[in-house]
Amino acid sequence: MSTEPGLSVIQTDPILRVDSVTKSFGKKIIFNNISFNVQAGQVVVIVGPSGTGKSTFLRCVNGLEDIQSGRIVFEGDIVNAHSKNIVSLRKRIGMIFQNFNLYPHLTALENVTLAPMKVLGESRKLADERAMDMFRKVRLEHRASAYPSQLSGGEQQRVAIARALAMNPSLMMFDEPTSALDPETVGDVLAIMEELARDGRTMLVVTHEMGFADHVGDRMIFMDGGTIIEDGPPSELLKNPKEKRTQQFVNSVLRPN
Amino acid sequence: MILIDYSFLLIRGLGITLWISWVALLLAALIGALIGLGRTSKRWSIRFLTGVYAEFFRSIPVLVTLFFVYYGLTLLTGINLSTFVAATIALALEGSAMMSEVVRGGLQSIAKGQREAALSTGMKAWQVELFIVWPQAIRVMIPPAVGVYVSTLKASSLASVIGYVELTKTGLLIRESVRGHSGSLLILVVIATIYVIINFAISRLGAMLEERNNFVN
Repeated sequence: MSTEPGLSVIQTDPILRVDSVTKSFGKKIIFNNISFNVQAGQVVVIVGPSGTGKSTFLRCVNGLEDIQSGRIVFEGDIVNAHSKNIVSLRKRIGMIFQNFNLYPHLTALENVTLAPMKVLGESRKLADERAMDMFRKVRLEHRASAYPSQLSGGEQQRVAIARALAMNPSLMMFDEPTSALDPETVGDVLAIMEELARDGRTMLVVTHEMGFADHVGDRMIFMDGGTIIEDGPPSELLKNPKEKRTQQFVNSVLRPN
Repeated sequence: MILIDYSFLLIRGLGITLWISWVALLLAALIGALIGLGRTSKRWSIRFLTGVYAEFFRSIPVLVTLFFVYYGLTLLTGINLSTFVAATIALALEGSAMMSEVVRGGLQSIAKGQREAALSTGMKAWQVELFIVWPQAIRVMIPPAVGVYVSTLKASSLASVIGYVELTKTGLLIRESVRGHSGSLLILVVIATIYVIINFAISRLGAMLEERNNFVN
């Protein structure tokens, strides 16, 4: 893979460019020859059966995993999991995990202020103030001093969203953000994500929530067997899928049994 | 009663036992942290070497290590080690092997997602270790580390064999001098009791430390 520093792309290009990317663990190919672009302000929803490499793909975008071939370009910088500049790149990409991954030894507030203080060099006072703005955004201002273990799953995920927001990233990635939640708290998290979309945030969302995908997504990418089967407006994919596999998947999630 | 006359010596012996085991524990913690880190390294060679170190010193009886350090090192290098230095080194070698296991276990108990979440916010690798991994791992390490301290303290009694006068040796010397008196067996009971009280106190202290650092409610 080419990693020359001079090889950057003009800013008017898409915020995220994915060119023929392949990921494998040893001999096992996770996904193969994936290509698509994300424009600033777009909400792109990735759907598909479990085990088709959707989550792994997100992890490649912020360099938690490396790629074997192809190229990922984020805001003009080539993503290379092994290079030093991956750290500065990650500041601009927020990531929300299925299992929240809050720091259990820190309060909700400290979870949110840690990176602004340590990475952006903000003072505690400024970081605290901004964190409280984020807590208002996710409607948890009354829970800021709680520890993660004292919060419900939905609350934990909203803190995780606040933690990512506090870095004011230009792309937010959600890796099945509601899959580990009790049904009654799923709505709270989706409502906040919808609000973020309305604020004009660029979002890349892996989810099984078809309602959300249809309602909030600008674009839907259907992945199966490690490749992109179909890419288009969500209503299109849900109502008139072109490919047979998309059809089968849509039928199975929209009309179970 | 004759033991009263020796109580000053017993207290002094206890002080020396606490001192040598404390010095050995500090060394063991420092070396053990490094070895433990090495055992979680990405590099195969580092994992192998530190693994050999840990297995080696955990398998050898402290007494053998002690003899090797006290007599062997002197023969090899010509440097005459004091009984204190030799005993401290031997205890630290064994302790560090046990501590490396504690450190490794502590570090490995932290879920992978913790590192990933922290990295995703743009923290550097050392910041992730300092602010996220170690503060959590240390809480996991406290109870077994207390266990290592207790066993180091008990093992320090072996230093009496090379003539270092700590608590056990003090007791043996007293026993020698009161031979024939009624105190000669009693003195061993007293020594044993002191060990029990001290180690129980250490365990309680460790439990309090654990309690205070508990963040899960």
